[in-house]
Amino acid sequence: MTTSETTFHLPDLGEGLVEATVLEWLVGPGERVERNGPLVEVETTKSAAEIPSPHSGVVARLHAEEGETVAVGAPLVTFEIEEEAAGIVGTVPGEEAPARRRVRLTPPEDEPGS
Amino acid sequence: MREALNLALDEALTEDPATLVFGEDVGRLGGVFRVTEGLQRRHGEHRVFDTPLSEAAIAGMAVGLAMNGRRPVPELQFDGFAYPAMDQIVNQIARMNYRSRGAAPMPITLRIPSFGGIQAPEHHGESLEAAFAHVPGLKVAAPSDAPDAYRLLLQSVRSDDPVVFLEPKARYWDRSPAPAGADSGGDPAVGTARVVRSGRHATLVAWGAMVHRCLQAAEAAAEDGVQLEVVDLRWLKPIDAAGLAESVRRTRRAVVVHEAPLTAGLGGEVSALITEGAFARLAAPVQRVAGFDVVYPAGPLEPQYLPTVDRILSAVQRTFG
Repeated sequence: MTTSETTFHLPDLGEGLVEATVLEWLVGPGERVERNGPLVEVETTKSAAEIPSPHSGVVARLHAEEGETVAVGAPLVTFEIEEEAAGIVGTVPGEEAPARRRVRLTPPEDEPGS
Repeated sequence: MREALNLALDEALTEDPATLVFGEDVGRLGGVFRVTEGLQRRHGEHRVFDTPLSEAAIAGMAVGLAMNGRRPVPELQFDGFAYPAMDQIVNQIARMNYRSRGAAPMPITLRIPSFGGIQAPEHHGESLEAAFAHVPGLKVAAPSDAPDAYRLLLQSVRSDDPVVFLEPKARYWDRSPAPAGADSGGDPAVGTARVVRSGRHATLVAWGAMVHRCLQAAEAAAEDGVQLEVVDLRWLKPIDAAGLAESVRRTRRAVVVHEAPLTAGLGGEVSALITEGAFARLAAPVQRVAGFDVVYPAGPLEPQYLPTVDRILSAVQRTFG
């Protein structure tokens, strides 16, 4: 499977904040991270917040040191992601668990197919 | 299923140089779901190409290309974004053949990743089949597994009529074996449903991903000694009224299952056709299991919205009296 790189930029963390300071990276280069897994803790003028990872993949590069202030919209981290996963909107179901059921059936009394 | 669709598109592009594949991200990226992967590399940038993000323009361009002898296979990346293209679909694609008295047929296959079940954001999980099926001049297809997706897509592309081809996103990653590659021939005619599981106590009718859900329900019912027949409608227009009636005349009971909201959904049409064709044999009124009459819900609520095995089984039990 081929891979490609995608860069995550610092999002607006609320109400038009223009920058945030990296408090602690929760991942490092070369580490695999899952989507919605912990990525980085940042601090704005309003609060500290943990940003979850927007992708599943391997961290290729961090674009800021701890203690460094990053502008909203500036590159934060670059991921190496599997090509197959790139661009998909939604969650593609994997192997499905067997369907759960509670309703039990009582066959009809008439002779079916007669 | 995506491999089967990819194979069908590859064959269609190979067999007719007039065939063109275009849409958002279908070229270099290979499609948001990888259905068109490798096609641009194999058939060139003039036959498989990316378009701007404008569904109306994609559908409108297909009209012009078809009028000039091409066989367009455009993709609208998601069902909810078919609405901006509706004017072109309804007023141009569906009517041009009639309007030109046959001088300008529209051999367009409009592929639309459709229905829900993948927890996508808003506008990415709609069920528009009733809207399309109501438009004179359009055919509508919805495959449920890989081999059928391959067959139906090739049939659609080869058809000189416009076909709205609804691909169930939730089944793209269905790993059932794709066809060996060669066109198997001997395909059932356009507008033919198929029995995917035989049974004798009741008939479940569905299309797209709900066929799989009905098969799960039939599996569960078998534990209770109830044999459910599952009919995959496949063609939502024209509908195989005779095939439906034939199945229901045998089982005497029918439940129609679809993801779309209940009211004015295609289940009403299917139910009416079954009643017209098999009324004398019906042991109970035809039942419908559908989505609810609400805006398609956010991802976490999908399991509550989509028909479940239990809802299907409850409807079956209602037909038993």
